[in-house]
Amino acid sequence: MEKENEIVEKLKDFLKENLVNVTIPKKRRIFVYIKKDALEEAMEYLVKDLKFKHLSTITGVDLGKEIEVIYHLSYKGSIMLSARLAVSKKNPNIPTITYIIPGAILYEREVHDLLGVKFEGHPDLSPLILPEKWPKGVYPLRKEHQLKHLKEMTSEKRGERN
Amino acid sequence: MSHGSIIKVPFGPQHPALKEPENFLFEVDGEIVVDVKPRLGYNHRGIEKAFELRTYIQNIYLAERICGICSDAHTTCYTQAIEELLNVEPPPRARYIRVIIAELERIHSHALWVGIAAHEIGFDTLFMYVWRDRETVLDLFEMISGNRIHYAMNTIGGVRRDIHAAMVPKIKKGLDFLEDRLEYYLNVVQTEQTILKRTAGVGVLKPKDAVNLCAVGPTLRASGIKNDVREDDPYAAYDEVPLNVITHEGCDVLSRILVRCEEMLESIKIIRYALDGMPEGIIRVRVPMKVPEGEVVSRVEAPRGELIHYAKSNGTTKPERYKVRSPTLGNIPALCKMLLGGYVADIPIVLAGIDPCFACMDRMAFVDIKKNKEWIWTMQQLRRKYAKK
Repeated sequence: MEKENEIVEKLKDFLKENLVNVTIPKKRRIFVYIKKDALEEAMEYLVKDLKFKHLSTITGVDLGKEIEVIYHLSYKGSIMLSARLAVSKKNPNIPTITYIIPGAILYEREVHDLLGVKFEGHPDLSPLILPEKWPKGVYPLRKEHQLKHLKEMTSEKRGERN
Repeated sequence: MSHGSIIKVPFGPQHPALKEPENFLFEVDGEIVVDVKPRLGYNHRGIEKAFELRTYIQNIYLAERICGICSDAHTTCYTQAIEELLNVEPPPRARYIRVIIAELERIHSHALWVGIAAHEIGFDTLFMYVWRDRETVLDLFEMISGNRIHYAMNTIGGVRRDIHAAMVPKIKKGLDFLEDRLEYYLNVVQTEQTILKRTAGVGVLKPKDAVNLCAVGPTLRASGIKNDVREDDPYAAYDEVPLNVITHEGCDVLSRILVRCEEMLESIKIIRYALDGMPEGIIRVRVPMKVPEGEVVSRVEAPRGELIHYAKSNGTTKPERYKVRSPTLGNIPALCKMLLGGYVADIPIVLAGIDPCFACMDRMAFVDIKKNKEWIWTMQQLRRKYAKK
């Protein structure tokens, strides 16, 4: 746990009040909560200085009024740091991190497709997973969309085409 | 070198070189690929949403069916995530059985891949031989679990079936046969001109690009980067089993073949060790239906690379959110990089080089290339055409 504590201390010194919460639930796992505005500087610090060079994926979670975006980064393939922040559903814009980690390109598109988070500055946010004719503004992983509701919406569309 | 015009060539979802449907759009200048645009999702089944609608027990079966090849990797990742949320430790014997099943799966998955790679370069004899020998592993699976592909071995709190003493000599006999064959294939791969000419220096992924594009698994290790979840973030009984992480410096398709062939031999050693060192005892503990509130990140080294699941529970019998990121998706940006600047003729083998598993990933897109722009059909056009029949 020494390395984990060391990483957390460094992150605290760097981010100061932009770091809202930290937990180390077990060996090789760290969860940090950062303020939305500090995303870019935090990512740059994590990737370039703390050597969290591998982005495993980006998860989006619907919290009701907000959407939580979690960046799962790993240090030498070993320690997983999940950096999270929340954006409001009304204005779900956050800056892209593709210029810091090029490997984020598809993960950001995936979160955009399924939860409607807009990554500002992303080179191409066209649909990645959902079909071309998917209704605009419907993000299937948001909680307000029940499966029944989604099925109705898409079957209607299918009817039109035939 | 430009020939004046750039032609867009769609590749897939239905294409002879792809064993599963996916779509890529290539832009080609003569014989050279100048751009690749993936378009995933042809197989998208909405599994993450489905997870939220089912109980934790039902979700074991769903996780098993994310993929038809690495079904055990997904359930291992799922069950250990839920075990962590429940604060339950699987019994030691179950952890060893998980290792044995995972490594048998790695052999069958890599053997399948070597066959496909051989087929993509037109070396069908090797393809037939490797797949014949792969049957040995599938037969062992049938003996252990009753199934060849969906073994359904994992459950929350342990495993569902034991490996009995009577099975051990049979497994060892199968491994001896496989070891002999795999050593022969390793020799073939390194000496056979048909393979060397088609794979050496093809689909190059430099170590720097591999890291920046977040490649995983054998693709990353074939670019010389030592990275394996089994060693770096041990799960099941991997912290007690000696493990040698295979890397190669070639950064090309040949290195990817070598890494996988040597990994199969390494897996055989791991299984032998685990069979001998397996502690006696129970194989599962009972767990409650309701899972307390919490969240967890679970990782497994699937045959194709790092597999990561994220689970968030809300105190009920169903998860609040379940996220799956399969290794193939992690390798797509790296794949696009490998294809750039290469020949059209090398597309199938480079594509096969990452061992793509589109069922796992689907969330991904490719671009297709055929002769002419007009050949690009949308799904709607296709549907309309087939609806008439």
